[in-house]
Amino acid sequence: MVAALLVAPLAPIVAGLALVVGDRSARAVSRHTAYIVSLVVTVLALLACVVIAVQRPVLDRQWVPEIGMRLHLAVDGISVPLLLMTAAVGVLVVLHARHEQPEGGTPATFFGCLLLVIGGGIASFLVQDAISFFVAFEVVLVPMWVLIGRFGDRRDARERSRAANTFVLYTVLGSTLMLVGILTMTFAAGTSDFAGLAAHRLPAGQQTAVALILLIGLGIKVPMWPLHSWLPRAHTVAPTAGSMLLAAVLLKMGTYGLVRLVIAPLPDGVQRLAPYVATLAVIGIIWGGLVCLVERSLKRLVAWSSVAHMGFVLLGLMSGTAIGLQAALYANIAHGVISALLFAVVGGLKHRWGSDDLDTVRRSLRDISPRLSLALVIGFAASMGLPGLAGFWGEVLAIFGAWSPGGDRPLGWFRVLAAVASVGAVLAAAYALRVLRIVWQGRAEGGAPPAAEPETDAHGNEWLVAGALSVAAIALGVVPVVLLHTTSDAVTHLMAVTGR
Amino acid sequence: MMLGDGRFDSSTLALDFALQPSHLVVLLPAAIPVLVILLTRRSAAAFVVSATLSFLGLAAAIALLAQQARGGAVASPGTIGQLPVGPGFSIPLHLQVDRLSVLVAVAVGLVSWAVQLFTRWYLYSDPRYRQFAATVGLFTAAMQLVVLSGDLLLTLIGWELMGWCSYLLIGHESERSKARRAAYKAFLVTRIADTPLVIGLAILALGARSTDLGVVVTHWTHAAAHHHTALAAALLCLICAVAGKSAQVPFQDWLPDAMEGPTPASALIHAATMVAAGTVVLGKLVALLELSDPARLVLTIVASVSMVGAGVLAFLQHDLKRLLAWSTVSQVALMLLGLAVVTPRAGADLGIAHLLSHAMFKALLFLMMGWLSVLVAGTTVERLSGVLSKYPGCRRMVGIGLLALAGVPPFAGFVSKDLIIDQAARGGIDGDTSARIAFAALACVVLLTAAYSMRMWLILIHRTGAQRVQALEVVEDSYAVQEVGIVDMLVGLPPVDQHGRPIDGAVAQPAPIAEVEEEDDLLVHQQPGGGARFGLQLLALLSVVGGLLIFSPMLDVDWKHPNGWLIGAGLLLMGAVALLVRMMSVGTVYGDAAARVPVFVRAAASRGFDVDRIYVAVVRPVVGLAHVVTRLEGRLDAGVQRLPEASAALARRTARLHTHRPTTGLLAVSVGLVAVGLMGVILW
Repeated sequence: MVAALLVAPLAPIVAGLALVVGDRSARAVSRHTAYIVSLVVTVLALLACVVIAVQRPVLDRQWVPEIGMRLHLAVDGISVPLLLMTAAVGVLVVLHARHEQPEGGTPATFFGCLLLVIGGGIASFLVQDAISFFVAFEVVLVPMWVLIGRFGDRRDARERSRAANTFVLYTVLGSTLMLVGILTMTFAAGTSDFAGLAAHRLPAGQQTAVALILLIGLGIKVPMWPLHSWLPRAHTVAPTAGSMLLAAVLLKMGTYGLVRLVIAPLPDGVQRLAPYVATLAVIGIIWGGLVCLVERSLKRLVAWSSVAHMGFVLLGLMSGTAIGLQAALYANIAHGVISALLFAVVGGLKHRWGSDDLDTVRRSLRDISPRLSLALVIGFAASMGLPGLAGFWGEVLAIFGAWSPGGDRPLGWFRVLAAVASVGAVLAAAYALRVLRIVWQGRAEGGAPPAAEPETDAHGNEWLVAGALSVAAIALGVVPVVLLHTTSDAVTHLMAVTGR
Repeated sequence: MMLGDGRFDSSTLALDFALQPSHLVVLLPAAIPVLVILLTRRSAAAFVVSATLSFLGLAAAIALLAQQARGGAVASPGTIGQLPVGPGFSIPLHLQVDRLSVLVAVAVGLVSWAVQLFTRWYLYSDPRYRQFAATVGLFTAAMQLVVLSGDLLLTLIGWELMGWCSYLLIGHESERSKARRAAYKAFLVTRIADTPLVIGLAILALGARSTDLGVVVTHWTHAAAHHHTALAAALLCLICAVAGKSAQVPFQDWLPDAMEGPTPASALIHAATMVAAGTVVLGKLVALLELSDPARLVLTIVASVSMVGAGVLAFLQHDLKRLLAWSTVSQVALMLLGLAVVTPRAGADLGIAHLLSHAMFKALLFLMMGWLSVLVAGTTVERLSGVLSKYPGCRRMVGIGLLALAGVPPFAGFVSKDLIIDQAARGGIDGDTSARIAFAALACVVLLTAAYSMRMWLILIHRTGAQRVQALEVVEDSYAVQEVGIVDMLVGLPPVDQHGRPIDGAVAQPAPIAEVEEEDDLLVHQQPGGGARFGLQLLALLSVVGGLLIFSPMLDVDWKHPNGWLIGAGLLLMGAVALLVRMMSVGTVYGDAAARVPVFVRAAASRGFDVDRIYVAVVRPVVGLAHVVTRLEGRLDAGVQRLPEASAALARRTARLHTHRPTTGLLAVSVGLVAVGLMGVILW
């Protein structure tokens, strides 16, 4: 079963490279071939991930002994949900890319880049070694840049390249800072293994400095306010499949990195910085919510809502309690599912409308396209934290966690933050309903509702993707126990290790 | 099926099985949306599914009631299992089955079933009937979850889901902008009121280290003495949310606007779900409410102000559906007062008793209002005036509903209202401030209720010649029922002479015989189906005899010591008020007693005294702030975008040093080398 550990990340990466390289050969790879190869590989990766999740195999070999770097592949309760989500969203993204393949390059390049991102995502959730994590983290960068810069929105070439460059520059800055932090810890501990890093405690002052560097570096990826401005740009321009990956995989690598590299090995530093980071998180919640109230571009609005939701994840992480950490991990997964769903639907709408301007008067989606509108309603209802859908548990439990923070965190201040965060949840309701009022209900003035137009509704792969993500959003909301149990032991262990 | 293997005890009706009736009460209505959306494509199929499942839901509630009465009910059945959130905090997510929650569950199931049956007729040709039926199912499930919840988080789930369902139902006719706005407003106002709810629940749960209702109540009962402020704060947070959901001051204005929804939705929202949920939730925590005088006082004041104000507004409404809406605000406030005036260690029985009787007669009244509005295509005074004299078949049921609303003995409304008044009087004599305030407000509201009930009745049975002529030529526009007022009718109709006859006889004068036939034909269609009428009759019957429930052991109320003087005086005053209203109505065009009130007062009252403008004024700064934030964000983004430019410029400048003078560097190095060499030679 150790083979699954290698198949899961390497199959997409190798296949992705093959597709991109094969595309350069004399006879270009056909669209059909690229699709079939990608589908087979992602399904294979998903199966491998399921095997890994069930069997929990471990691969631990010496790799670069000079710096204590090991080839250590394994999973625990924290990474299993992320791993499964990445692999599952990978399959869905490939399915969706078949339905909506953007112009700007050959299909093989497009699918190849998707596979590289998926493979890199899977690898980063599998490795148990800080330097390997950094490498996996970097693997996704260039393919994502290609996806945004070449396959992005065709209407504005300048904006496209700008968004792609902003994304790359921001992320590289973040990962450079992360590398500095990782190397500091690695040379202090003599190993780059996560467990080794967590076991070796730096002095408190040093911890604070390293934690600060890592928080800035990973905060860019999460993204944490005020380091977020690459995200709305990238999301707005990126093709639908790219947006889904960005939301479901790339942002998750940031929060996962925070848990592994900051919260576990640097508890004292986190303790000291937590009030500030939590404050930034709550500012992000409010800031994102407010921008969404007046944002005109629908895709951008969904991107902004991501900023707000990741604020809840950060707030939970910084609360220093088991309940907050559980909430953060839950909200992390929930956000991946909900955003992927929303981007799939909104991307489809943009494709149909030719733009995503909310000020354009359109007919009510609920009457014209019942399937798309159902998915849209589920997505936005989940996004505003409606119970019974994925978003609810993470947000409520994060507020519970922040209300009684752990360690020596300032109680009063965290309570203020919890109260403000609950106001942010109201903003989420306001902007979600704003979108539904404009898009779902339309702007008719009396008269009979328009008739359904089944031919423009979601079909085939698009309906499959939206339906699967909707079902996932409902399942996470109705049965939170499964996911919470998966992460529970690892969280308890983590809380014990970090001294509380 | 389970009878043989000893898993069913026929004496206590206990069932030893994972799936209890209490689960089914929630799950069966929750299955309606799933099945309707997944399996049905046509309205008829959706109706079969929703009517069957809501009937089974009612049956499950009745089975639960039987179990509870015989002592076989499981008190706290589990649901999806305990949420693992680390040591030191437990989220067991249990239900709680006790006598009050079981009674309410039956009432909710009954009203929901009646509404499902009635909706099929009311929305017969509506293309969105399926969505409506599905939402009603989800709504019912959410309410049953709140009713049977034994966990603060389960309560929160049902609570928020109800808000969402009300959004869907109110915005059902979303092709009308008024309905869209009303739905948005209803959701946002209640959601804003819910903001402190999570905080309040967090205080209660984190204090008790559990979200289990029993644990929370036990913990805070002991801790109340030391943590008085925390308890009061938590309860005030809850009361704020309750005021939002139950449309109490200052959140009251969403409810009359919610009349934009189809009438069955109003019946559901007003009678058994949503607005009544506040009473249920506070009823579960009434033991804590008794311990916190500030919270009780705030609740009393909020409810008293809402009750009297809504009573006045109800009397002045031009739209009779809105009259019923305001009367709901008033009656729900009465239930909340029933909770605020309880004596220590008493349960929530008073408030719940009124909730039950209100559910019956208000569902009846709203559904009858829906029926009448279909007959005359409108709900304003002009349309409805005299409708009962034209369709006498509806007369009895509307009469029962109004008598129960007014609180005339022996109807259900009288019994439950009198119990609350008695309790308030007793508390007031004992020197309790809350009870005194409550008693004063109750005295006013008894008279106001009698007045607006009487006014509505007089309008409905009124009959004029002009009204008869107009009723035949109503503008048939069911999508714009709300907007059609008297002015539109005058504009849209052909000109008439002073007797109400068309001037241009040739155009609009069909043969009289044909006209009568058409009307008869309409009458046949304009009557709900047998099932729906049975539901209405059941509600009417319960409105009459529902008061008998207080003699059963299910409700623990003191019915043996009624205050005869108080009842007598109240009835006398009610009679006097009714007479006064009758006198005011004499000689008015539509038999409307409120026509004696100056028109600007009525106009302001119809707009709810323009509270809506205050809401808008509150929201506007937020939108302004959003614009400011967006602008700041633009600046931030522009700054970030300038960074690469800046670094590129820096690179160019430094590059220029190299490219233009390629030898500078070399020269410097050579000079340096020479200098070092010289220094070496000299110093050595």
